[in-house]
Order: sequence, then C-alpha cells, then structure tokens
Amino acid sequence: MILQSLRVKPMHGYALVKHIKQVSDDLLQVEEGSLYPALQRMLKEGWLEAETGISEKGRPTRIYRLTEAGVRHLEKEVVSFERMFAGITRVLAVAKA
Amino acid sequence: MGLLGRLFSRRRRYDDISVSIQEHIDERVDELTAQGMPRAQAEQQARREFGNVTLMEERSREVWQWTAIESVLADLSFAFRQLVKAPGFALTAVLTLALGIAINATMFSMVSAFLLPHLPGRDPQHIVVVSSVNPSSQFQPEANPVSAPNYFAWSSNTSIFAEMSADNENLTGSLSQPGQQPEAVSYAAVSPNYFSVFGAAPSMGRGFLADDAQPGHSHVVILSHGIWERRFDSDATIVGRTIRLNREDYIVVGVMPASFRMLGFSPKLWIPLTFTAADRTPEARKNRFLYLFARLAPGVTVQQAQAGLSAIAQQNQKDFPNIEQHWGASIRTLGDFLLYNFDIRAALTVMMTVVIFILFIACANVAALMLTRAVGRQKELAIRQSLGASRKRIVRQLLTEGVAVGLLGGAAGLCLSWFGIRVLRAGLSFNEFIADVPVRLDTRVLLFTAAISLVAAVLSSTLPALKISRSDFNVDLKGESRGSTSSRSHNRMRVVLVGGETALALFLLIGTCLLIRGVYTLENQKLGFSHDHLLTAGLTLDHTRYPSAEKQAQFAQDAIARLQQIPGVQYVVAASDLPSSGPGSVSIHMKGQPEERPAEQRSALDVVVSPDYFAAIGIPILRGRGFSASDDESAQRVVVVNQEFVHKYFQDRDPIGQQVQLDLPGTASVWSQIVGVTANIKTYSQLPTVDPQVYEAWAQRPVPSFSLMLRSSVEPDSMIPALRSDLNQIDPDLPLLRVMSMDSVLDVQKNGDPLFLKLLGSFAILALVLSTIGIYGLVAYSVGQRTQEIGIRIALGAKTTDISRMILREGLKVTAIGSCIGLLLALPLPRLFSSMFDGLIVSAPQVYPIVFAAMLLVSFGAALRPARRAAHVDPITALRNE
Repeated sequence: MILQSLRVKPMHGYALVKHIKQVSDDLLQVEEGSLYPALQRMLKEGWLEAETGISEKGRPTRIYRLTEAGVRHLEKEVVSFERMFAGITRVLAVAKA
Repeated sequence: MGLLGRLFSRRRRYDDISVSIQEHIDERVDELTAQGMPRAQAEQQARREFGNVTLMEERSREVWQWTAIESVLADLSFAFRQLVKAPGFALTAVLTLALGIAINATMFSMVSAFLLPHLPGRDPQHIVVVSSVNPSSQFQPEANPVSAPNYFAWSSNTSIFAEMSADNENLTGSLSQPGQQPEAVSYAAVSPNYFSVFGAAPSMGRGFLADDAQPGHSHVVILSHGIWERRFDSDATIVGRTIRLNREDYIVVGVMPASFRMLGFSPKLWIPLTFTAADRTPEARKNRFLYLFARLAPGVTVQQAQAGLSAIAQQNQKDFPNIEQHWGASIRTLGDFLLYNFDIRAALTVMMTVVIFILFIACANVAALMLTRAVGRQKELAIRQSLGASRKRIVRQLLTEGVAVGLLGGAAGLCLSWFGIRVLRAGLSFNEFIADVPVRLDTRVLLFTAAISLVAAVLSSTLPALKISRSDFNVDLKGESRGSTSSRSHNRMRVVLVGGETALALFLLIGTCLLIRGVYTLENQKLGFSHDHLLTAGLTLDHTRYPSAEKQAQFAQDAIARLQQIPGVQYVVAASDLPSSGPGSVSIHMKGQPEERPAEQRSALDVVVSPDYFAAIGIPILRGRGFSASDDESAQRVVVVNQEFVHKYFQDRDPIGQQVQLDLPGTASVWSQIVGVTANIKTYSQLPTVDPQVYEAWAQRPVPSFSLMLRSSVEPDSMIPALRSDLNQIDPDLPLLRVMSMDSVLDVQKNGDPLFLKLLGSFAILALVLSTIGIYGLVAYSVGQRTQEIGIRIALGAKTTDISRMILREGLKVTAIGSCIGLLLALPLPRLFSSMFDGLIVSAPQVYPIVFAAMLLVSFGAALRPARRAAHVDPITALRNE
C-alpha cells in the first residue's frame, strides 16, 4: 500500500499516513510504529529513494519516491495480491452458497 | 562501496530517519494547533500518539545494521567509553590483568621455543634419531651416541632405514685468522649425506658430496649462519675462500641458513666425517661418539624399526660380550629425541603452572573489582531494563565490558611481555645450547596472548555479570539495594573469590619455598675440595702440532713451569677433567680378584692429573702418597684411588700395592699399581652421588684435551691476563676455552637454577602481593557496605577496639580458611618435586607453618587499615547516609 501510494505521488512520512487514511475512508490506519521501519526496509531493498528537501512550512523534510525497481516490484505484488484475492473470493462464494 | 563510504551513507540514512520522524510529529502538532489545541498540549498529544520515538528510531536504524556484529561493536565502543569515564577502575583492572597476561606470555615464549622445538629440514616429522642405550648412565641413558661399527652395520640395513647419516658433535677446535684472535669453536663432523637426509638446502654454495669424505678431499667446510654473520661479517663471497681450522686450511663450500638449527645441537660449522681402518675394528665399539639421523624405509613404522634394532642389539650383546654387555639401541622421532635429550620440561612445567595460577589470582581481583563497579551501577542497569533491554542484553553488555578490559589488558600485557622476553633472554646466557634457541614474540606467543586475554576477560566478568543480572531491578530502582539481600550475596561471592585466591597464593608460596630450599641445599653441599681461589682454563691440543704423547706432555710441562712464575701462584696443575664435573669412566680389572662375569663389569671414573693436583685443590690423601715427578713414562704405571673405590672394590681393606688394569680406548691396557687413597669428592656438583674414582699420572698418559688449574692467594680473575700471555708465548695459535674461576664453573653447572629460582621467587611474591590486594579490597568493601551497621553499633556503645576486632576477625577468617585449603593442596608437593627433578630431595616441613603464619600476618596487615577506618566511623554521618 505504501508503494502504491507513493507511486501516485511522492510524499513525506506524515503525508503518507494521512493519504492512506483518507483514501481508505478511515478503514485503514497505518500504525506509526510500523511505518518508519517499513520505509527503511523498502529503502534498503531499493524500491524507494529518499529526497532531501524543505517543506512549504520551512522544515527540513524527506520525500520518499518510487524507483524503477520499486515500480516493478509493486506491479508484481499487485498481480499476486489480485490473484490471491480472487481465490479467496471464490472460496468464500462457495461457502456462502 | 568501501567501509568509509558505507559509514557516511549510514550517517545520511540515520539523519533521514530522524528528520522524517521529527517532521511527522511537527506536522501532527500543526494539525492539532490548527484545530485550536494549545501548542504545549498539542506537542504532548502528538508525541503520545506517535509512541516511543527512541524505540522507533532504533528499529528504523536496525534495518541498516548487520544486527549481531553491529550491536556487539556498539557495545564494545560503549564499554570503552565507560572505561574512560572510570579511570581508577579501568587502570587498576587493566594493570592487574596486564601483569598476569605479561608473565604468561613471557613464559609461554619459552615453552614455545623449548617444548615445541623447531625442526629443521623438509618433512622433519619423518626423521628419526638412532642412539645407544647406556645401562649405567644417570642422565638420559637412551640418548647415548653410537659406535662407528654399529653405524656401519645399521646404516646398511635397508630393511629398516632408507638413508642414515652420522654426526660427531661437540668437537672443539680453533679458528684462526692472521691478525685475529684465535677463537675456540664447537663444530661437528658429519657424513656427506647429513644435509640431504634432513632435506635442508644451504643458503649459499652447496652441501657435502660423497667425495668430500675421501681422505685428501676432506678439507672442506660448511659454515653455520651464526658464525658466517658474526665472524665473517656476512661476507657474500665467502664460498670458495679458505679458512684456518685447527691450524689447517679448509675451503668454504657452503653456508647453512639460520633455520637449520636443533635444540641441543649448536655446531658453528661442519666438516666431513672421515673414518679410518681403526674405526672398523671390534675395539672401536668402545668409542661411542656418533649421533645418527635417518629416514625409515617406506612402510616401516617407528615401532617396527625399534623392534628390529632391539633384536640387532641383543645379537651384539652375544657377539661382543665384553663391550656391548647390556647396551641397547633406541629409535625416536626427531622431535621426541630433542626433547628427551635436552629435557627442561620439568622446570618449564613448574613455571607455566605458577604463572597460570597467578593469572587466576589476577582474574579473581579483577572480578571483585567488576562486582564492586556493577553494584554501583545497579540503578543504571535497572533503568536500562525498564527501557526495554532484556536480561540477556545486559549480561552481554557486562561481558563486553569485561572483554574490553581483557583486550586492553592483553595489549598492555603484550607490550610488557616484550620487555619480559628481553630480560629473560639476557638471563638465558648461562648455557650455550639454551642461548642458541631464539626466544621471541612469535606468532604462537601472539595467538596464545590473545587466547588468554579472552579467557581472562571471560573469567573476570562472567560471575559478576551473572550475579548482577539476577538481581531484582525493581528493588534497585527504588534505591533499597544498600541493605538488601542482593548485596549480601555479592559479598559472599567476593568472599569466595578472595578465599580462592588466598588458597592459590599460599599454594604457590609453599611450592616455591620448597623448591628454593631443595635446590639451595643441593647447590651448597660440600663437594670435597676447595674451590676458592682456583682459576681454570680449558685447552685442546690439536693433532697437527701435537701429534704424539711426548709433544703433549712437553707442552703441559712447559706451561706449568711458566705459569708457576706468575706472582701469587701457589700451585699449577693439569687435569683431564675439572673436579666434580662428571668425568668419563673406564672399565677396570683387578689382579688377584676373580675375573668378574661380563654382567658385573667394574668401572670407575677416570681422571689424569699432574703432580701436586691433590694439594692444589685440597683433597686430603688418606693413605700412601700422591703423584710425584718420578712417576713418568719410564717408571712403573701408578694410580691413586678414592675412598669410595676402596669401599666398593676392596671392601675397605688396604689397597696399596694392589694392581688394577684400566680399559682405555685407543691404548693398550697396562697393569698399574695403586700407590695412594684420597678422600671422596662429588662426581657432579649438582648431585649428591659419590662414585669410585681412579687418578692416573699425567706424565704416564697425557691427554690432548685438558684443563689447567692455578691455585693462588690472589683473586683468580686477576691472573687471567698473565695466563693468556704466558700460554701465548708457548703457542700463539692455541685458543683457550672457558677461562674462569672454579667458582664460576660451578655456577655454570648450576645450569640456570639461579635464574629458575629467581623467577619462581618473584612470581611467588607477585602472587602474595595480588592476593593481599584482594584481601584489602574485600575488607574495605565490607566496611563500606556496613557503614550503617557500624554506626549503629558505635551509637549503641561499642568501643573502637570492638569494631576493629570485628572487622579484622572477618578478614582473617577468610584468609585462614583460604590458607588452610592452600596448605592441604600443597601437601603432596615434596613428593611431586622429587619425581620431577632428578636428585632433588625436598624435605623441609618447617616451610608449611612458616608460610602459613606469614600469610596470616600479611593479611592482618592488609586488613588493619580498613578496620581502623571502620572503628573511626562517625555514627551520625553513617546513620544519616542512606
């Protein structure tokens, strides 16, 4: 989800949290505790890169942006997720019926 | 990306994390304030919502770390920083460990050099040494050299040996160069295949060829690295040059590298070994002078070879019953033989044990120090735990601190040991063979030092770390730890540590005192002659200039006459061997006595002396007479015997006038008449044994290798220049060996005992000092812990003497128990030492109570100061000080 959000628009950590909350209509809330280590893991794998900058408010900021490798990984993950989701839907449909 | 690059990018990552998190919080604060919340409240809420910032940062950082190694390194650098902040503790702990590690490293350098000796050549583990087994020798009977006929027989035995070489060691000769002082050198004559059996290539020139052993071609020489460096100035063109050995010209054909050396074999140069027809006669079997180095035939094991040789030796006993009676043969691998032949294992074992025990004592002290320190940090550790550190992590941190101390101690110890080794090397010069073995800080010693540093670190820090990590941190946080049970159990551990090190220290002290006493008695036994004011000089008359007995006798006569002229000289004599220096022995036969069976071969020590000998060295003549000028080659052969001889072979009857025959190698045996009986002197200055001895008259059988002795009223050393110049006038090319006073000779024969004892003594004192420090620390700590209690006691009316007595009693209790344990452990020592050291009888039971009392006294002194301080505690401050 982080990767997809950042694909849409590169942003800094807090904005990311707000974005996910907003887009999922409050259904999903990112636990701050897991956000930053997750961001670092993605940086280490090379799917993201961090950009130094100054925010509009004049504070130093780090903007996280998707890399080429990140895009590829994201697309792979999305495909496998959709496949899994389809499978679950089918099983549940059978159970309901 | 390189380490440095990675470091910088890591910094950047960490920065990114901090900035991101900080920004996150700030944004939230802005949001909240925009909603109308006051700023301070907004900040609080934002932080609360976020959670534990530090933990978050750490978890994010951890992504970039190789967790295990990183945190160990972080712990290590943290430990070092903590040590810097506590310099008193750090210095004491590091120094204590450094001392223990330094003496261990220094002693190990000797162990490495002597017990794991360097073996020369290619594949040296497959080289074997063949030797004879002497049925009547006390020292290393299985390392006796072999006779030439046996060498010929055994070397052609291809079923056992693939190749064999012979080595005639310990020859002495003179190297003379025009314009330079003639120098006495020890050298060896070896068979041409000697170096090839070892597989050792010369560093310059060539080895020996088969031709070199032929008469006429044999004046070639190969130099050792040492002498090439020292006397020939590392001349790169030395090959092909001529040198003068024993007044004859030899051509240098090669130089061996420094790596070609063996423990106990230190020839300065090698010449080819030549044999004459005489060497092949049965008579030649009496002359055992060759060391044999060989390689076994393929597929033959050492045991098989030994069995084969033993069978041959048995056959020899049957074929030559007079000469080979009871003699055996032995094969050992090269390493085994060198250790057997030059055995200082006993001394080194003692030393190494002593220094390891001292390291244990040092570790006990450092452990006590760490315990104290950890107790002082209980609050800090409790906070750590509350911040999320697991118990394992805390133990690991404490262990790491121990490792840090251990590393520093090891490094400091290494530097100290560098000096220690130099001092040791200087002290090893008493014996040429020992001095020739390089003792230095090599790889083995470095690895050993690293290993014991780690061991010391773990030993010192494990107990305190475990103890501390088990303590109840809630209690510590509340600050109640002072009076709690945790500190009492710490105290118990300290008591155990100090008790243990006291036991060890006492054990070491008793052992050392026993050894010192035993060796001292041995060295200061009455030898039976006067050895003061006696100057000695060794000579070997070489064959070129003194080919006949007459020439040799003439030289001795001239020399004695000249030296007599030196002012202050009372007697000048010549003797084939110095007294109490282990002369050679001969078989004897006695006229009129039943011919003894070959099994009971009679033998006696044999020394050839000039007239005045007995008067010169102060041996009283008990019966008959000594030698006079009339006992020359034209008169009847006469001998003088000692009292032990009379006791053993004449059952104390009067031997004067009886005839004996000596079996001398190389000369026809003649019947000699006994004309006198002297008192006994010890055979060896370092052993209490007395053997039957027979003295021959110089004029009747001069020998080419002998010592001159001058008895004087002045200091022996003052006569050395006169001695040298007088002998120089007779023969300028003749080098003198070992010109020194008899007292110095006896000193040399002590063969390092003084060094051994000095080292032991210093180590024992070190052990005592360390354990005393431990006792002092224990008592002082206990006083500190009980300040409250003492304050209460004083407030309730206890007198100062009561308090100090209470403290002293405690300290002494620990010491007494520890000392008792040490005493019990030391009971079997005398027997152990007697079995380890030849001839050493240790019977000094008074050592035990004396050392025990001394230990208690010293501990008393150590405990006195803290006890005094305890007695003067101000009860008001003590009670107020929570």
